[in-house]
Amino acid sequence: MSAAQIRFATLWRREVNRFMKIKKQTIGAPLLETFLYITVFGAALGSRIKHLHGIDYVLFVIPGLIMMAFSTNAFSNNSSSILQQKFQGAIQDQLSSPASPAELLLAFSLGGFMRGLMVAVLTFLVSVILVGLPVEHVLVLVPSLFLVGFFFSQLGVLIGVRAEQFDDVAFAQTFVLQPLIFLGGVFYSAALLPQPFETLTRFNPLFYMINLVRYGFVGFSEVSIALSLLALTAATTALFLFNLRLFSRGYRLRA
Amino acid sequence: MAELALDIQNLEKRYPTGVEALRGVSIEIEEGAFYGLLGPNGAGKSTLIHCTTGLAQPTGGSIEIFGHDAIDNYAEARQAVGLAPQEPNIDWFLTVEETLDYHAGYFGMPRRDRRERTRELLETFSLTEKRDERTRTLSGGMKRRLILARAMMHRPRLLILDEPTAGVDVELRLELWHYVQKINQEGTTILLTTHYLEEAEQLCDRIAFIAEGQIVAEGTSPELAERFEVPNLEDAYLALVGRKELSRSHIELAPEVEA
Repeated sequence: MSAAQIRFATLWRREVNRFMKIKKQTIGAPLLETFLYITVFGAALGSRIKHLHGIDYVLFVIPGLIMMAFSTNAFSNNSSSILQQKFQGAIQDQLSSPASPAELLLAFSLGGFMRGLMVAVLTFLVSVILVGLPVEHVLVLVPSLFLVGFFFSQLGVLIGVRAEQFDDVAFAQTFVLQPLIFLGGVFYSAALLPQPFETLTRFNPLFYMINLVRYGFVGFSEVSIALSLLALTAATTALFLFNLRLFSRGYRLRA
Repeated sequence: MAELALDIQNLEKRYPTGVEALRGVSIEIEEGAFYGLLGPNGAGKSTLIHCTTGLAQPTGGSIEIFGHDAIDNYAEARQAVGLAPQEPNIDWFLTVEETLDYHAGYFGMPRRDRRERTRELLETFSLTEKRDERTRTLSGGMKRRLILARAMMHRPRLLILDEPTAGVDVELRLELWHYVQKINQEGTTILLTTHYLEEAEQLCDRIAFIAEGQIVAEGTSPELAERFEVPNLEDAYLALVGRKELSRSHIELAPEVEA
């Protein structure tokens, strides 16, 4: 391995090591939360709603829950990791190393991505065993989940870099991210909503992400797949480039 | 003339708040030197160190580390520098051994080299028994040992010690003195900031006084004393900060000591 490869592998290893050391909190708790959602919405509501757009309600909901688990874990991992390291001053050890801004940004991003991916994959496997969750369009599902995970990893990095106290991270998660996810159609179809809520839902970017993932799993979507993939790719690229600019300038990282 | 380990010219740092921490600082430190930087709190010592190590971004001037520009060729420049900061900035999630191993990884050291170097420095700084402990459980002195060991992990050619002995016991202070003198004799250039003037006097070849973001005097300890027309470095420092009345020569000895 070259020095640059060792450096990047170490930066990435540190991020994964951080969440694996507290896996009850970082992996166990999100898994439990997701299964509680499946139990409540699948078993309780599912027995009354039965089907949505011809799909079993529980199968309709699970793709959104997998996407929610991926995104919230990727986001919260990165925002917390960066803020904690800023708070402790430990980030100085990485900032004073020869690592480039792109290496630092990618390593921080991949930490959250890995955690989100682990929770999402575990949720998927259990869903396959319990309710026979299908994968209808793997070529849509894989890039969609990759883009969703990377987008929220980047968003977590952005909030972590900007944050000056833990309240800033909690605010973004509780008052911005959670409402957008819940109002993005994880548990319902936008077509069932009365106006103006149906139209408003279409202004929520999470609605398109949930539909992409749902299409990948069960083959149903309320939006154009090609357009949604294109928009998500553009948004993820733009956010990555924006973060790269912040890292290059040392925004709230270097004095 | 030896190669310059650190060549700082007209360095300026103005923070977004408008505070001018450095106002045209120039320092040249030859390779192999043991260089002291003294000044009161808020004089600009830590800002200068942060600019040198990439933790702060200069607003003017230039910094070269062994001929590498600290901004344009930051990777080569930072590879040559080890920093033991004033505040223990260690990761609470890591163990002592991981702290050293990860640091070496950030500097591209291969695994086998990392293991050997970790073992060597754990031994040197009496940390072997603590190798598996989380850093947050360490005492203040142990944390100080760890950040010193970490700074030396990647065998830097320029070692920057920002008040390394602040708040440590006599034993560790003397251990550190012996160690840094040894590695200096082996060729490592050292930049030391300290508030302990006897430390600077004993260890440093040359010393610079910094005040209000400017270098106000530079030379050997006797040269500085001569420059301020006082008998020793401490009095020169007191003259610099305008507190000559605090000189030890004004302290009357207690009668029993006199007897």
